[in-house]
Parts: sequence; C-alpha cells; structure tokens
Amino acid sequence: MSANWQIHRRTFLRGVGAAMALPLLDAMAPSLSSVVSAATSTPKQLPKRMAFVYVPNGVTMRDWLPATSAGGEMTLPRILQSLIPYKDDFSVLSGFAQSQGFAHGDGAGDHARASASFLTGTHPRKTSGTDIKAGISVDQLAAEHIGDQTMLPSLELSCDAGKRLGSCDSGYACAYQFNLSWRSENMPMMPEVDPKQVFERLFGDTSRGVDSQRARSRRALFQKSILDFVSDDASRLRARLGRNDGRKLDEYMTAVRDIEKRVERAEKLAPKLPAGVHAPDEYDGFEEQTRLMFDMLALAFQTDSTRLSTFIVSHEGSNRPYPFIGVNEGHHDLSHHQNNPDMIEKITKINSFHARQFAYFLDKLKSIKEGDGTLLDNCMIVYGSGIGDGNRHNHDDLPVLLAGRGGGTITPGRHIKVPPRTPLNNLYLSMLDRVGAPGVERFGDSTGRFDGIA
Amino acid sequence: MRFVVISLSALLGLSPAAVASPDMSADFQTKTLPLLKRYCYECHGDGASSGDLDMDRFKTLADIRGDKPTVAKIIRYARTQVMPPPDAEKALSLADRDALADALMVQLYDLDPKHPDPGPMVLRRLNQTEYRNTIRDLTGVSFDPALDFPQDDTGYGFDNIADVLTLPPMLLEKYLKAADKIMEEAIPPADNPKKKMTEPMRKLFVRYAGQRAASTTQPVNFDSNVARAILTDFARRGWRRPPRRDEIDRLLKLYDLARRNDETFHGSIRHAMKAVIVSPSFLFRGDVSADPARNVRPVSEYELATRLSYFLWSTMPDDELLDLASRNLLRRSLDAQVKRMVASPKAHGFVENFAGQWLQFRNLDAAHPDGKKFEIYDDRLRDSMRRETEMFFESILKDDRNPLEILTADYTFVNGRLAKFYGIPNVDPGMREFKRVSLEGTKRRGILTQASILTLTSNPTRTSPVKRGKWVLESLLGVAPPPPPPDIPALESGKQLTGSLRQRTEQHRADPNCASCHAPMDPIGFGLENFDAIGRWRDSDGPDKIDASSSFTDGSKFNGPGELVELLARTRQNDFYRALTEAAMTYALGRGVEPYDQPAIDRITAQLRKPDAKFSTLLIGVIDSAPFQMRRADNFQRTASLNGMMNSVASRSDDHRHPGETP
Repeated sequence: MSANWQIHRRTFLRGVGAAMALPLLDAMAPSLSSVVSAATSTPKQLPKRMAFVYVPNGVTMRDWLPATSAGGEMTLPRILQSLIPYKDDFSVLSGFAQSQGFAHGDGAGDHARASASFLTGTHPRKTSGTDIKAGISVDQLAAEHIGDQTMLPSLELSCDAGKRLGSCDSGYACAYQFNLSWRSENMPMMPEVDPKQVFERLFGDTSRGVDSQRARSRRALFQKSILDFVSDDASRLRARLGRNDGRKLDEYMTAVRDIEKRVERAEKLAPKLPAGVHAPDEYDGFEEQTRLMFDMLALAFQTDSTRLSTFIVSHEGSNRPYPFIGVNEGHHDLSHHQNNPDMIEKITKINSFHARQFAYFLDKLKSIKEGDGTLLDNCMIVYGSGIGDGNRHNHDDLPVLLAGRGGGTITPGRHIKVPPRTPLNNLYLSMLDRVGAPGVERFGDSTGRFDGIA
Repeated sequence: MRFVVISLSALLGLSPAAVASPDMSADFQTKTLPLLKRYCYECHGDGASSGDLDMDRFKTLADIRGDKPTVAKIIRYARTQVMPPPDAEKALSLADRDALADALMVQLYDLDPKHPDPGPMVLRRLNQTEYRNTIRDLTGVSFDPALDFPQDDTGYGFDNIADVLTLPPMLLEKYLKAADKIMEEAIPPADNPKKKMTEPMRKLFVRYAGQRAASTTQPVNFDSNVARAILTDFARRGWRRPPRRDEIDRLLKLYDLARRNDETFHGSIRHAMKAVIVSPSFLFRGDVSADPARNVRPVSEYELATRLSYFLWSTMPDDELLDLASRNLLRRSLDAQVKRMVASPKAHGFVENFAGQWLQFRNLDAAHPDGKKFEIYDDRLRDSMRRETEMFFESILKDDRNPLEILTADYTFVNGRLAKFYGIPNVDPGMREFKRVSLEGTKRRGILTQASILTLTSNPTRTSPVKRGKWVLESLLGVAPPPPPPDIPALESGKQLTGSLRQRTEQHRADPNCASCHAPMDPIGFGLENFDAIGRWRDSDGPDKIDASSSFTDGSKFNGPGELVELLARTRQNDFYRALTEAAMTYALGRGVEPYDQPAIDRITAQLRKPDAKFSTLLIGVIDSAPFQMRRADNFQRTASLNGMMNSVASRSDDHRHPGETP
C-alpha cells in the first residue's frame, strides 16, 4: 500500500500531531518526555546481559585457535585479527562439544542439528514438518527467571529470513535452521530480520511523534478491548476443539497473554531512546545489515530493553556467497572443501569477515559507559558455531568465544582449553548462574558447571 | 472436465472392518513373500543378514506388522531404488518394485480403501501469501506482510504446512499492528477527509447504510442495527462462515465502546473490524463446526469452500463459493466450480505457490550466479526465466494438458530476451511480452531444460550435476535419496579430488559409501551438463569437452538431455505421477502425506496413468479424495480396521482420541 507507510518507515521523530490511532507498540511506549531509564547508576545494581551470536558452517580451526604462551598469553590467529584491540575483553574457549548435534542414528542433517541443539542441548526430532521438537533454549530458560524485569523478555535477531521454499537439511524442518531460540520444545522464537523493525519494537514508531496523555490512554483502552475480544474468541474456539487441534489456539492464547503482560510492564519499564539516536535507515548489503543489527542489539542492552538476546549472523548451512570480499562461491559449498587449499582460504576469509563484524559489536559495547566501566563489562556474549569444521560436520571441538566480564564475574583475555567433549551446556549453566537464573541443576548433557571462566 | 461425485455413503460406511482379513494374510504369503525372497534374500535372508537386516523373520503378516519401522524402511529403499544395490544378482524391475511396495504398504498399515481415514483435522494459520491475498480480497487494501512479518517456516517443501506455521507472541503483535494499518487504509480516519474508503468497504456501507454514508468518513448517525448488519456481513466473509450471534454481540460491544468514547460511526465500525481480522477465526482455517458422534464425516460446506479456495487460489472464498455453501449446494456443484476457479486469474496463486514450491522456481532469487562469470545474468533475465516457467505451467493447467508434458513439452514461452538467450529464431529480440514457441529443432524439451531450473540447481560459479540429479529425484520423481549411512567416514582423510567436474564427481561416487545414493542421482546431472550454470547451451566446460552420456543402474543408457528426458518420461512415469500427486496432496491438506493417505494417492496415480488423463484429473482427484472432503470427528476412535495404521502414528493418534469428550 502504501506509499504512505514507506514514508513512515523512512522518517523518524517527525513532530506530527496526535494521529488518531497509532499501532499497538506506540501505545506501550510512554511519551518520550515522561520516560525514566530503567537502568540505575550504582554499579551493584547494574543488570547483566547475555547474548549468543551464531555463525554457520564451522570455521577453519587452524586459523581460529590462538597460539598460547606458557603464561596463558594469547597470540590471535588470522581469523581473529580484527579482535586484537579487544583482546583483554574476551576469551577463546576450545574443546567444548554440543553432543546432541551428532547423528545418534538419525543420519544426515548435521546443519539442522547443529543450530537446533546449539542453545537447547537437545536432539531435535527428525521431521520435515509434523511434530517439530527440540527443547527450551538457554536464553529462554533465563527469560523465565529475569524476563519480567525488562520490557522485552528477550530479543531474537537474524540476518536471514526463513527459507522461502523447499525442504531444508536432509529431512529436517526449516525451523531448526532458522531459529536459535526456543521458548518451548515446539515453539521456536522467530527472529526479526529487519533492523528498522527491531527499532520499532524497542521504541515504537517514532516517526509519528508523540501525543497527549488523554489520547494515549484512549488508545490503550481501545487496544485492550481488542485483546479482550480475541482472547475470548480463542477460549471459546478452544473449548470446541480436541487436544491436538487445540495446540494452535494454545499458542494464540499464550501470545495474547504475553502481549497483555507487556502492556502492563510498558509503563514502568519502557526504554528511553538515548539522545541523538534515530531509527536505522534502509541498509544496503549484508555487511550493513549485520552492523545495523549489532547496533540494535547494543541499543537494546544499553537501554535495558532486554537482557537476553540471540543473533543468527547467517543461518546454519547458509550458502551465501560473499562477493564483496572476493568470495563468489556459496559458503556451504565451500565448507565441503575436501582439503582444497583455495577453498579453505576462502572459508578463512568468510570466518574473518564474520569476526570483523563481531569486533564492530564489541567496539560498540565498549564505547558505551555504564557505571564505572562499560556496557561490555556487564555482558556475557557467546560467539560461535554448532559445527567445528565444516568439512567434517563435527559437533565437538567447537569454535567458541566468550566476551565481556559478566559484571565482574568473568576474567577474559585467555585461551581456555577444556578436556575434549566437555559439554558446552556446562558453560551455559555457569552463565545462567551469573545472569540471574541460578540453581538450574542440569541442562542437556551437562555434567556440572564450568567455572573456568571466573 | 468430469467430476466424479463421491458417494458419501461409501465414504461413510463405517462399519468396523475385520482385523487383518484372511485375504490380506494370504496375499502376503502368496504374492509379497515370494518377491522378498526373490529380490532380497540374496543378502538379507536364508541366514544372510547384511547391514543387520535379516528377513527370515518376516514369515507372516503378523511378523511384518510387528516391526513397522524396518518394513517401512524396506519400502522406502525399494521405492528409491537404493535397494537392491547395483551389483545385486537380480535387478528389481520397476513393475515388480511397484507391486512389492504397494502391497507392503497395504499389508503393513492395513489400508482399507472402503473405509478411509481422512487423517487429523488441522488448524492452519494463514501464511504470508494467504494473508496478503485474503486482506486484499476482504478489505481492498494491498498490504505486504513480507515487509513486517517474520518469514514463515516451511515443511515438506511447502510454506502452508499447519504444524510448522506457529504463532509466536511476536507475530501476534505484528498482526495487531497490521490490523491498525490495514483498517485505517480501508476506512480512513475522519481527520483525513480527502481519503476515500476502499471499494469493498464502500460497497458494504452502500448496502447497509446507504450511498451518503459510503461516500464520506465524516460523522454520520445511524442506529446500531446498521452497524450490526455491516459487521455481520464483514465477519461472514472474514471468517469464511456465518458468525454466531454471540460473536456479533461481542463485536457490537467493541463498536459501542468506541462510540461512547467519541469515535465516529465509521471509526467505531473500523474498531470492531480490527478485531475481526485479528481473531483466531480469521487467522486460522479449519473445520471447527460442532460435531456429531461419528468417526469421520464430511467437512462442512463452508470448510470445503475454504479448502478449495486456498488450494486453487491461495485466498479466501469469493461470494459465489460462500453463497453455494450457505445453501448446501457446493458439493453438488464442484465440477463447475473447479472449472470456474481454474479459469479465474486468481488461479495464478496455484501456479506461483504450488508449482513454484514443488519445482522450487519461486526461489530463483536465492540463486546467485557469479557476476563475473555470467555477466549476462541480471534481474531482468532472472525474472524472464521465472516467468517462462510460470507461463509454461499455467498453460498446462489452463489448457488442461496431461501433466507429463511438464517433462516432455516441445514448446515453451519466451520474450525477446529469452529467445535470444536460448537461440530461438524468429522472435524480435526487443519483444517484451511472452509468446508460445515451438522447440522443434532445438535441444530443449520440457521443464528440465528451462533456464530457471538449470540455474537454481547450480552453484554460483559452476554447474552441479549432483544438485540437478537430486532436484529431479526429489521434485519430479519423489524419491528423495535416503540419508548417508550413520557411520559414514569423515571426509577429512580423503585425498584431494582432481580432473574435470565429471571426473571429480565420479571419483566421489567410486567410494562405495557414496555410491548407493549417487548412482541414481549423478547420471541425471551428467545428462544435463550441456547446460551451463545459468542454462545456456555449451559443448565444453573450459578445457573439458562435455560428455553428456551416462546410464542408470538398470542398464538403460542415454546420451544428452533429449534422450534423458525421453527415457525418464518413458520409464519413470509412475514415479512422476506419484510425486506430483503427493506434492499436490501435501499442498492441499497442509500436512505431510501419511500411510492412511495411500489409498487416495494410489487411486489418483492410477487415473493419471490412463491415456486420456489431464491436469484436471489430478485436481479433481485431490478434491475428490477422502482427506480433502472429510475429517475425523472429535471423538475419533480406532476401529478394528484402523488399528494397524494408528500404531504407526501412535503419538499423534492419541491426540485424537477423546472418548469422553462430547461434541
């Protein structure tokens, strides 16, 4: 439609008068003059944030693992060159495994299993449609504990919209490859792929300006009436249906309740848009999209809109070519390099490109002051892949980085080697403790906590 | 087009059948067992148990039903021609293969065509395409969800599969936002007096509130009965069924609330309409009508109208379909309605969404031919390629041709650009419109040689015989290669492969671990090697001369794309018809096909094999089938005859058994 909307999408903070009825999210966002930042300023109370950044198809391990001196000093390898300025802000963790990514009798489909198991620690059910099943992911487990403290319990991001058609990896539903976060065993959390949409989720459609308290409460009333109506509809229909058919309506009702809760939280928790920040413009190309997404993620953490996030830089098994860095072949095709040196070189180039974007993100987090330190100090950010070497499709010896100091609970700047096949889920348990979801006894195949990060 | 009116009494004859009829047991002994002995025992019987499979234990019908997973695997391996392997003593003929697989299906799952199980009733959320089209037809607003909504997940190769179309909270939020935008476009706010209502809204207001109210959005006064009439009509179309009284009462409450809060008449209607298009009754389709206590029953006429409409049009039923449903006349008019629907421009939805996903050309945008190597490839050429395949499929649909022509047609559709690209003479290179041209005298025949398909099955810098072979097997022949054996050795130890692309591919295949899957796949790709990675004809690939000859494991040989296409059309017809039928069923039902769908699929496939088969044979076959026409009742219970198959889908069937539930 809407030449009109396109304009709205591109403009921001234009001071127009009160529009008749603004989209839902605007009703949740308080007027910009009245917000109070939720983040407080005493260091003790600074919130801790946790994020997971996913890159696909493994990495060239020999160009990823740092050389380590006797004293534990890292010399960063090729892929991690762009991270040198942040060397003291992250550790390379090597030796971890996500063992449920392995076939265990299910045959091909390592890409689907890699991403589906990465944060869930579960073995996804092999199905191309009916009965998808993985497990709750670590970020969502944390959200159950701390999600109600921020406007958004969690934020899911990706640079890849789901596949438009065709089947995905070897008989696995595409949901396994295009989602990292799972709210329950059969409810993947679909990520946002457009930075501008993310911005609107956080701050509303700021393009239409701000209107009066009266108009705002009237709008809230109208929206509540619609939520009440549809929620009533759903329960009436639900009563007419059997168990399996009713599952869809259960999803619907869960969604309604979630939104109602958000409306309630909005008044006290809505984030304040920092001065000088505006909605992202249209992006041009993959690198810009990635960086804008990292901007949005940093902004969400900065404004304490959420404390939990997952970001799929590119989906597992992605065959995206990278012509802008001289790689015209598809990423996945290249990853089956059969030890061809040219192909390995190109994989290293792609890995380095991804790491460069991550460096951009760390730079951003580090440039934002918080308390006596920086935003990065209060973060725990895992960067990694559910596949070790793309040519082998192994799910042990995974490439994993952990950035940030977790509010002073983590000592970065090291290469931490763990015994082969140490469950990655042990690391997750330690992170859950730190982020405010303590006491989880087991996650996936965890065998205990991994406190080597302290 | 002749519609076979299904006999409801036949479909509803639900007296429980006898458990494992003696006939079936005897059939297993006299027909199936000898085939197993003849073709499988060399390695899996008489004491041999290669791959830990010992068939000596399958002596009776009860034995195979006792190990469904293994027998299901045997059926799949036979169908996909993975077994018997190329070096087996006795090659399995295609006729024997079909006889064996069909019989085992019936025996394993106790299928009884006389007492069909239509499968579970599923609620399907509208996917992005359906939402966009439905909003367009209902409100007159063109809204593109692709800009706002998260991408739908796909399953079984389609994006309209009920189970994977989930509704996370974020999406409901988007629906709420979208409803605001859409309804304010349909009925513009009064503070924007220049904007007019959309056509469907105007008509609605004319009908119930008169001309004056339809030509303005400024304050007017009407009795709430007028609002009730407008909302009832809107909800009926939006929910694809007559709204119940309590539903309308609740909509009226929304209207009243807005009125009490100083909203105009138009604005208050708009407010209630927003609720209509966020309601689960709008977002989900499925038969939720109250239910008599019967095992299976026909779906309501409204639900049938909805199924038909989304199947053939990817959008909501129009007034004619709803009207027939309201008078209970739709089942009796199916023949004429299907004909009308196929002729409608809306049938393009079927081409784009069914064919586009089945054959994958809807995804051509995702192919990224290397810009340096293929300078000629640009967005316009890509769009021309896709348009060619769309028009080609649409002509087979609308001219009601035999579906096998998808494979063999000696004609296609080109514009000037594409004609030049293909080297087809006598077409003005500047011509923008497409026209039908003969392929006589060219080396192209059918879909396999169209540039769209050849491009989307290539890598960015080169062709991929494996991808092309896999595409043909999966899409056209419905025989997805099984996954590699679980203990396949890692490739890391492998030495670097050398030589031409073909030589490298063959080296890979020489590895016995790879051969069983690559043997049926790679030759097809070799036969298409004369087409480069964007579908241009070539005689050599760099220094290597193209060798487009190859052979299949059954010994049949071919040289070049022409012979390959001819060979596939002649020997693999049954596979093609089955693949097409299964794809159409999956798309129409919004779920994967299951063993209980087998009788319907067998029947349609058999009809397609007849010499006078047409495309409508397929459409009518699907629409006529039990899974499309019927639903399990809420209190569906296993009858004796259903026992066998229910065990195979135990986890789901349990969900459908609610003996205590009253309708």
